Amino acid sequence: MEITREELAGMIDHTELKSHSGEKKIRNLCSEAKTFSFYCVCVNPIYAALSSQLLEGSDVVVCSVVGFPLGSIPSRMKAREAQGAVADGAREIDMVVHVGALKDKKYDSVKDDIRAVVDASQPHPVKVILETCYLTDDEIVKGCELSVEAGARFVKTSTGFGAFGAFEDHVRLMRKTVGPDIGVKASGGIMNFKDAWRVIRAGASRLGTSAGVAILEGYSLYKFAPAAWLEPEIPCHNCPSRHAKLDKLPKSLYTYYKKKCLTCEHLETYNLFYD
Amino acid sequence: MHGWMGKVVKIDLSTGKQEPVEIDDDLRRRYLGGRGLGVKLYTQLCDEKTDPLSEENALIFLTGPLTGTVLTGGRYQIVSRSPLTSTICDSSSGGTFGEALKRTGLDGIVVVGKADKPVYLLVTDDGIQVKDAAHLWGKDTQATKQALLDETSSKASVASIGPAGENRVLFAAVMNDKDRAAGRGGLGAVMGSKNLKALVVNGTRNVTVADPEGLKELGSVLDRLVDKNPVTGKSLQVLGTSVLVNVINAHGMYPTENFRRGVFNDAEGASGEKIAETIFKARSACYRCPIACGRATQTTNAEGEGPEYESVWAFGAQLAVNDLMAITEANYRCNQLGLDTISCGNTIGCAMELFETGALPEKIAWGDSGRMTQLVEDIAYQRGLGAELAQGSRRLSEKYKRPELSMQVKGMELPAYDPRGVQGQALAYATSNRGGCHMRAYLIGPEILGQPCFIDRFSTAGKAEIVVLFQDISAFVDSALICRFLQFAMGADTFARMLNLVTGLDFSGEEVVSIGKRIYTLERIFNTKAGFGRKDDTLPPRFLSEELEEGASRNRLVKLDEMLDQYYRLRGWDQNGAPKEETLKDLRI
Repeated sequence: MEITREELAGMIDHTELKSHSGEKKIRNLCSEAKTFSFYCVCVNPIYAALSSQLLEGSDVVVCSVVGFPLGSIPSRMKAREAQGAVADGAREIDMVVHVGALKDKKYDSVKDDIRAVVDASQPHPVKVILETCYLTDDEIVKGCELSVEAGARFVKTSTGFGAFGAFEDHVRLMRKTVGPDIGVKASGGIMNFKDAWRVIRAGASRLGTSAGVAILEGYSLYKFAPAAWLEPEIPCHNCPSRHAKLDKLPKSLYTYYKKKCLTCEHLETYNLFYD
Repeated sequence: MHGWMGKVVKIDLSTGKQEPVEIDDDLRRRYLGGRGLGVKLYTQLCDEKTDPLSEENALIFLTGPLTGTVLTGGRYQIVSRSPLTSTICDSSSGGTFGEALKRTGLDGIVVVGKADKPVYLLVTDDGIQVKDAAHLWGKDTQATKQALLDETSSKASVASIGPAGENRVLFAAVMNDKDRAAGRGGLGAVMGSKNLKALVVNGTRNVTVADPEGLKELGSVLDRLVDKNPVTGKSLQVLGTSVLVNVINAHGMYPTENFRRGVFNDAEGASGEKIAETIFKARSACYRCPIACGRATQTTNAEGEGPEYESVWAFGAQLAVNDLMAITEANYRCNQLGLDTISCGNTIGCAMELFETGALPEKIAWGDSGRMTQLVEDIAYQRGLGAELAQGSRRLSEKYKRPELSMQVKGMELPAYDPRGVQGQALAYATSNRGGCHMRAYLIGPEILGQPCFIDRFSTAGKAEIVVLFQDISAFVDSALICRFLQFAMGADTFARMLNLVTGLDFSGEEVVSIGKRIYTLERIFNTKAGFGRKDDTLPPRFLSEELEEGASRNRLVKLDEMLDQYYRLRGWDQNGAPKEETLKDLRI
């Protein structure tokens, strides 16, 4: 990974979105974002104003989520939420797409939903959270295309509240779909520098994580033996199909992922039950 | 000067003479304190001809620049030559002793010579007094501590040996505060050989730091980092180190019956979870530590601290003992008698296998917790078979012509991770400067716990580089004196920042690693002169030729040959493992 510590920090959206997080955690989040020069803090709308106040005068941007974490509120409400967040000082908006509509192939509805938030957030960039764990590859591609058509500046993998988070396979597919001029934000389950490296290698330009400080701590070990830390891994360990669980996913999607295992190029080389 | 107190005193117990040890700024910068400075001073005072139990041997107690300041600031380090391994050796301990020693105005004390009768050292702001300890000789560590607090000050901190150290058991520990051990390498026997029963430290001076506000700010960031880390913030706080029992057993590398198996069917009965349900009383912490991994516990008959993971294993799976109460009480007795639990349990396991194979005539069967308990006493007092076990497993197995049954490296008994399940840890064991030890480089972090990230535990690729890095950073940590558990949550740059805020100097992450490399290489130079080399950088044949038959590490062997040459190349050592001239020049040794 040809990246400096500063560049890595500059890709991180330092994130605190848990429902039980109080003001103290937000204060710590903002303090750390300044100390470690993260790109932004990503918070729930209720904390956009406080975060803006705490980060005033710094280079750190406030990002607010909208329609979070399910994406299942009407577009007008998402737009109002985005407007409010911008008024409170948010300079980036991470909205959750209406996943059900995307799966129902109601593409106009999905595009209108995104466009409503993009318009409400002007001139600030909007990232569209696709919640990739609930999508097939074809649906991910479609979600990316609709996001770009609707004026989003980023596509984003996950809320962190779904069945699983960002995997490099999904990030790679998203990057391939949106091309070089649109951002790809990987989020969910990025807990250390190796997780970060995997998704950056796959094309992520931004990372959403609550483990930003730990990632930088790990980087300070990585830099002394980069090749050793990044020795090739058993691909199954980091494949969404391996992490698909029947108790977390709809039956059809679980079957979809497991079928992918059977046609995987690595099937012959690795025993799925290795380790 | 910030961070250091600027004074180390050498005391000759033969003559009573005291003198300051010259340590200039350059030496401090290059070796810091603790293990690093101790090794440097040791090599100036002694050489490879020094008998570890002779009065010529030096025994060095040192704090570090971070002792008494930030997170986990109570640590200290003892450095000497090990009577168990004959390597250079250091042993670390937490609690409050380190902080208390530093508050006397000293960074450390170098002890040479031998008192003609038992003594203890009383160290205060006014200096060091040699005091009569005849009335303490024969007492266990807890009785010794209580007697010394009663006759000096209740605010003092005590480090002492028990009967094991007095009787020169080769794996005798030095115990401080409540059940804290500088356990490994038999430095308690060195203390006993000098007729030195204890050190009592009681000071009132403050350790100054260069940037108190900056340190406070960093401290709160580090607190959160520790709290968020799954190991330091959850596992260690909730279940203590014994959280590892079920984890390591599930990986099929929980050494059972002297490392013949990697799965202990009764592991659950003496796990961290079971301890929490049964004998747990309260958490306990070293000075200023936010983790508090210690466990105050109570059995039907006794109370104390622990057992820690390694001790649960040493008196449990290693001996096929499944009685948590017996395991816990054996651990208590080791603390009171001043024995290293790892070497003690490991050696008893060796004896059990020797008996089973017919090599040892005296009956000592797997799972016999009563015999185990009796042997702990007999080892400390060098009685009967205990006297043979008191020499450690290597000497024991050699005596009975089955040296391959000793699970050790360079004479030090291995701890509770079967190396067949972790190739990096295997290399770390083999190349450890003090022998079979997991603390020189804890590859279990990345190979099992995913800290700082997962690496493939069965692969040898890249392992030499990571072992070198971990050995170097660990040597730094033992010298600045930081708790090893913080390595789960922090990297070299943060360690440098801590040091800078305390000392006002300008260390970098790169210098952190380079200091560690210098220390590791200096230790290696001593060992090379003492005759250690490639032939000693190995593991018992069991790990190289006998596959585990069950569990998640079955059918695995250690592939040491795939890693050792690369390890030497990375270290700048020759093919026999001796540091090259240019390496010494590069490291300013």
